[in-house]
Amino acid sequence: MSKLKRFLSGMGFIKLLIYGFFLLFLIIPLLSVFLVAFTNEPINVFGSLISLEQMQTTIEQFKNATLDNFKSIFSYGHYFQGLLNSLKLSLIVSLWVLVICIPIAYGIARTKMPFKKTISGLVTIPLVIPTFISAYAFIIMFGRSGWVTYIYQQLGGEGMLIDPYSMTGIAIVQIFFFFPYALWPMVAAFKVSDVSLEEASRNMGAKSWLTFITVTFPLVIPGMLSTALVIFAVSFSDFGTPIILAPSDLNLIVVDAYREIAGFFNWGGAAILTVIMIAVAGVIYWLQNYLLKGRDYGTLSGKPKKIKLIENKALTVPLAIFSGFVVIIPLLAMGTIFLQSIATTWGKDPLPSGYTLEHYKTIFTSSLGNIQNSLVLAGGALVLSVIIAIFVSYFVVRHRSITLDFMTTVPLIVPGIALGIALIQTFNTAPLQLTGTALILIIAYTIRRLPYMVRSTVGTMKSIKQDIEEAAVNLGASTLTAAVTVVGPLMLPGIAAGSILVFVTVIKETSISILMAPAEWAPMSLAIFQNVLRAEYYSAAAMSVILVIMVLLLQALANKLSGGNKS
Amino acid sequence: MGSVVVEQLRKDFSGVTVLQNIDLDIKEGEFFALLGPSGCGKTTTMRCIAGFESPTSGTIKIGDRDVAKLAPNERNCGMVFQSYALFPHMNVFDNVAYSLNIKELRKGNLFKKVGVYTRMLNSKLVKYPKEIEKKVMDILEYVELTDHAKKLTSELSGGQQQRVALARALVMEPEVLLMDEPLSNLDLKLRHTMRNTIRRIQQDLKITTIFVTHDQEEAMSMADRIAVMKDGEILQIGTPTDLYSNPKTPFIADFVGTSNILPGKVVASDNGITTVQIGNQQIKSVTQTDKTDVQVIIRPENINVLNGGSDDYDNAFEGTIQFATYLGNTVRYDIKVGEHQLVVDTTYESGDSIKRSGEKVRLGVSPERVLLI
Repeated sequence: MSKLKRFLSGMGFIKLLIYGFFLLFLIIPLLSVFLVAFTNEPINVFGSLISLEQMQTTIEQFKNATLDNFKSIFSYGHYFQGLLNSLKLSLIVSLWVLVICIPIAYGIARTKMPFKKTISGLVTIPLVIPTFISAYAFIIMFGRSGWVTYIYQQLGGEGMLIDPYSMTGIAIVQIFFFFPYALWPMVAAFKVSDVSLEEASRNMGAKSWLTFITVTFPLVIPGMLSTALVIFAVSFSDFGTPIILAPSDLNLIVVDAYREIAGFFNWGGAAILTVIMIAVAGVIYWLQNYLLKGRDYGTLSGKPKKIKLIENKALTVPLAIFSGFVVIIPLLAMGTIFLQSIATTWGKDPLPSGYTLEHYKTIFTSSLGNIQNSLVLAGGALVLSVIIAIFVSYFVVRHRSITLDFMTTVPLIVPGIALGIALIQTFNTAPLQLTGTALILIIAYTIRRLPYMVRSTVGTMKSIKQDIEEAAVNLGASTLTAAVTVVGPLMLPGIAAGSILVFVTVIKETSISILMAPAEWAPMSLAIFQNVLRAEYYSAAAMSVILVIMVLLLQALANKLSGGNKS
Repeated sequence: MGSVVVEQLRKDFSGVTVLQNIDLDIKEGEFFALLGPSGCGKTTTMRCIAGFESPTSGTIKIGDRDVAKLAPNERNCGMVFQSYALFPHMNVFDNVAYSLNIKELRKGNLFKKVGVYTRMLNSKLVKYPKEIEKKVMDILEYVELTDHAKKLTSELSGGQQQRVALARALVMEPEVLLMDEPLSNLDLKLRHTMRNTIRRIQQDLKITTIFVTHDQEEAMSMADRIAVMKDGEILQIGTPTDLYSNPKTPFIADFVGTSNILPGKVVASDNGITTVQIGNQQIKSVTQTDKTDVQVIIRPENINVLNGGSDDYDNAFEGTIQFATYLGNTVRYDIKVGEHQLVVDTTYESGDSIKRSGEKVRLGVSPERVLLI
């Protein structure tokens, strides 16, 4: 008994609270959405626990449970089409990203191509731009009255070069804005793979292109497959691009799920789509881990020697031109948004007809609330995830808590829209009616971005050896004093870097914001989205520019804090 | 300063007993070593005394306080960690001043507490009081680190870090000083210097010190008394010379110095002389025993290589040199006697006095130097 008391009074109590948090806001919602896929109508988990009557209703619901939803998926209906389209999109995107990244990664890792530094720097830009803004930028560029279309028609083309409102449009946006996720792992793979093997090949008389195809390339294949899976997962769960660009005759699973819940309140439909999304994402995650396990053979033959960079101009110049072309497209997209934000009007001409700061003025007078909301919500998520992450990393590192370690990786797998649907469903009714409050929004952001934070704090916690903590205690400090004066200061860089990352990703967050934010708490991303829907393009552009600038500044700060050791 | 008394200490880790029957009686001002191979429980014993492990049963007393119920931060035993465990975000001065800050934190009012906390987080913001400053500088002078006070600990060499760790533990005026393999991260030469430094400081301050090591030479050269541990138990406690001359078990005989250990049978015992049969040889010893199966222990330096037949020994054997190893002031021979292999140390005289492999020699051992266990 006294043992239990001691357990509950100290860290044990905090551990219990954290388990409770994950149970309440992650495990139960996911389970409950799974059940709804059978019952076809929302169930009230928490209500059933406190009221017998509610329990009866829930049991009644289970009696009427059917497999109809599951059948509908596999009966080649609407949903099945959506799943198929989504898989097709993700496949196209991940293959094209690989194709694009091979030359760029090779150029960065193995050659002295011109403008290498600039290209490597610009490559990070696409990552800071939320996809729904990039999608929207593509409309201004490639749409019916876009400047690319104008140039294309001047050159004698008919109609549009690419229709942004199509599968191709969505794929192109995703390819150009997601490729950096794959680039750095591939650069690393090219750097690691053993140069002496290539030298051996050349020594045996193979020409350099033959060496590349027969030796270099096969060695980086495992690395490439796993990065392709990363892109597949990112593309599959991306919500921002399809919600802006998907035409009404193109079903994609994320958009379908959103429409079922936001448009038709079809709980059963939304639930089954959520289950499918999580299942697909889970399989991809598993595959990726599986691949990474046997990954060692890239460095099979011992220590890689220092790489001699290729200087041959005939190779490096085309590589640089190609890389430049790829990185310039996201930049042009951003530039277009910026031009639109300072344009008086911009019709079917290559440039706006006049310039003004009026749109920014409008934002700072009428939409200041959205900026405030974004800051408050992101700040709330930051505080919550800092607190949770510190304790989680303490338990994971010092107590070797595998359960907590696993629970903080679950949100990495669950697509944002799926988490949103699960939370809305679970907290829709009394006794825990939280849907539509800022609190559940903050919690949703926190759960979704906690993995980044935890990864950062676990890393620093691991680097603090236990005997440093013990030394403080041995010198007379209480556990708390030791934590404040020794462990705290040593963890600070990790916490700072992690929290900026959380802050930034929450500001960028699309799916949760659009799905869950109530009108009075609308953050910037929701405001931009609604402006785009209402065709208020100029203020959408101005708000986007402000958002991207905020993100850029914070990201730079985070890189500085983490010592610039991210590559 | 205080004595340390440990009685019937036992420690189980999830059902596995890692320590049992540990009894220690360490006197005030004594330099006491816990010696044993890795995994023998010496560090766990020390961590029980420091309070980082709670014993499954048994009592621990420091001075006249029973510390079993005390938290590690209330035990007042300074510890020097194997890794030194210096605070990497603080400079040398702040590291050493840490325990003094804590003391101030304990007695001050809220306002003062905030001040001390701030100083511990950033010593540039709140100044140290004169007496702390003096105390820290005194101890730093004592370990010859005055010039390094403002440096970060990562800027120091291994030996200097070691001295910071020592100063940090000493400045709190602990009742006992605990040292966990403090020299194992230093190179050989530095290790010898630090041995002397630690011994000198210990003698100077007359501070009760418990020293954990797996290096028998280290323990022998520094400690007043040594407890040899194996598999979670204490095998023998004694002074270095005592352990060397009268090891209680073959393990100790081999672990503390080098020994020739041969199994034999007692065949006769009269007039204080025991005769033991080893293979087809007989050997006489002054050790009294009532066992019949015994281990015969002979230190390598107690076997004499006889030049000519003049020397008269009660135990004399014929042997063949297998090979010779030149060790500076001694020459170590591996010699085959019957079916046994013996290690014999002789004093080096000159190059051509070293015997060659294959050479036949006569060996003599006096019965006083033959130990039976």
